[in-house]
Amino acid sequence: MSQPGFYKEILRTAIFLFTLFYCSLCLAQSDTINDSSSRHINLNLSYNSSLIYPGITMAIEFPLYHINVQVLKNQKTVRFYTRGRFITGSLNWYHHPDFHDNLYLTAEWLMRRTMYSGFISEFSAGPGFSRTFLGGTTYRVDDNGNISVVRLAGYNYALITFGGGLGYDFSIKKHLPFSAVAKLNIISMFPYNSTIYFRPVLELGIRYMPGMKWIIPGNKLVSTSEYK
Amino acid sequence: MKQLFIIGILLLIVGCQKEKITISSSTSEVFYVENAGASMRVLVQGNTSSKIFILIIHGGPGVSSYFYDTNYIGKNLGDKCAIVYWDQRNAGASQGSSNGNKLHLDQMVDDLKKVTEVLKYRYGQDMNLFLLGHSFGGLILADFITRPGFQNMIKGLIDVDGSHNYPLNDTLTRQKLLTEGQYQVAQKRHVSEWQPIINYCLSHTGNFNLEESQQLEQYANDAENYIDSINHVSIVTEVERYNIHDKYPLTAIISNLMYSEDSNFNEELAATNFSPALKIVTVPVLVLWGKYDFICPISLGEDFFNRISSTDKRMSVSSRSGHNMILQDKKFFCNEVASFVLAHN
Repeated sequence: MSQPGFYKEILRTAIFLFTLFYCSLCLAQSDTINDSSSRHINLNLSYNSSLIYPGITMAIEFPLYHINVQVLKNQKTVRFYTRGRFITGSLNWYHHPDFHDNLYLTAEWLMRRTMYSGFISEFSAGPGFSRTFLGGTTYRVDDNGNISVVRLAGYNYALITFGGGLGYDFSIKKHLPFSAVAKLNIISMFPYNSTIYFRPVLELGIRYMPGMKWIIPGNKLVSTSEYK
Repeated sequence: MKQLFIIGILLLIVGCQKEKITISSSTSEVFYVENAGASMRVLVQGNTSSKIFILIIHGGPGVSSYFYDTNYIGKNLGDKCAIVYWDQRNAGASQGSSNGNKLHLDQMVDDLKKVTEVLKYRYGQDMNLFLLGHSFGGLILADFITRPGFQNMIKGLIDVDGSHNYPLNDTLTRQKLLTEGQYQVAQKRHVSEWQPIINYCLSHTGNFNLEESQQLEQYANDAENYIDSINHVSIVTEVERYNIHDKYPLTAIISNLMYSEDSNFNEELAATNFSPALKIVTVPVLVLWGKYDFICPISLGEDFFNRISSTDKRMSVSSRSGHNMILQDKKFFCNEVASFVLAHN
């Protein structure tokens, strides 16, 4: 009853689409200013789901650097955006009924670009650790036929996650210390039955930026140009 | 806040793993059996109060039991008995870590034995348990049933397009592809599709290696598409229909399938033959076959049927199905299975 060609085709198409998506995040020629004043820790709370299976993500972002970028053409600024690099730590969980609950910790390298309009695009990747809990009572039978229930049955896996997302930063135009992000992650757990288990996870979240120095549109941008 | 969240999650997890055993006319519950590095999912659906249980041993290796769980079976068989969908190790929703070295037939028979023991522990030792093997599941079934004393654990067995002898299977597949192919070409049906199959069969005559065996299986799979009288069912459509409702872990199913298909395990299987051992089988047996099954041709079913010593045995053939009778001729399948298990209750 197997149709291996079909499954392999799905996998191939998915890998192609993701490669295409991330290639589109490449940067063009630009001038940059490192802006240390904008570094601040962010907190993130997200609904984390795969299709209909719910979950939650809580994350903290530690900034590494923050750069304001001006793209110039004929001495005129045609585009302005900020580029941030973060290390994030997150605690995640999802519930797939009858299959498993997965509680996993990740540490990720996060690259984020925030446009002057507030539009955000980001990419992240990093390692993690997963502990699954099987989605049903688990029994063990010994060689004498004695049956016992295994408490908190499940497995430990190494994990690698990568993903990209789009969002909107409300601090830029609305002066609110929040941003909203929709992000698609792929988590891969191994060794899972001696192979790798992939799972797409969609995150819909709110990021709170408690230490945010709000950017005043207009003036700050001018000062950036003057510096150059 | 964070502590509350963690406590909430742990409560939910513990809640999910709480033992729940339902005796009713419409049971649906999942449990796992852990054995030798694998935790295998077992779904029990249907009428557990009937005390009749049919344990499905799915095909593959690596194909999941999810594909056997259809609404039709639920309504037309699940009302009379309980259907047990067991995901073998490295298949479907079964989970584990580095357990590839345990993927072999001997281990799978041990897994099956333990699953039956847990079933009886949960639903009562007095249950009437029937094993149903399909395709590769027929091989596990044949191995299980030919071990001394194992027949005592079950009430009867049902072989649906199963393979109990892989070398014979390859020979019969080639023979059927050739015979049917030449007939179809003579009838001017799908000539361009049949011709390469016929050519391959003519140039590969016996003593098949693994590569040839897999090529024959591929042709056998394709051949069903060139027989107009088969009720064609798309697996992809079935997956689309049940994926959400049945909570498929789709990527796990795919990973497991790909791993099992490429595993060295298949080399071991290529030489496996239970024909001589079948004479010790004495339990009631139902053999169901698709007339147009090229993957496990009907002669294989006849070999099984003729070799067992059971006096209470019956073989029935569906004229509109190939290898996947459970989907292709579901009415025939449910009627045959229901009348067999009810007659032996």
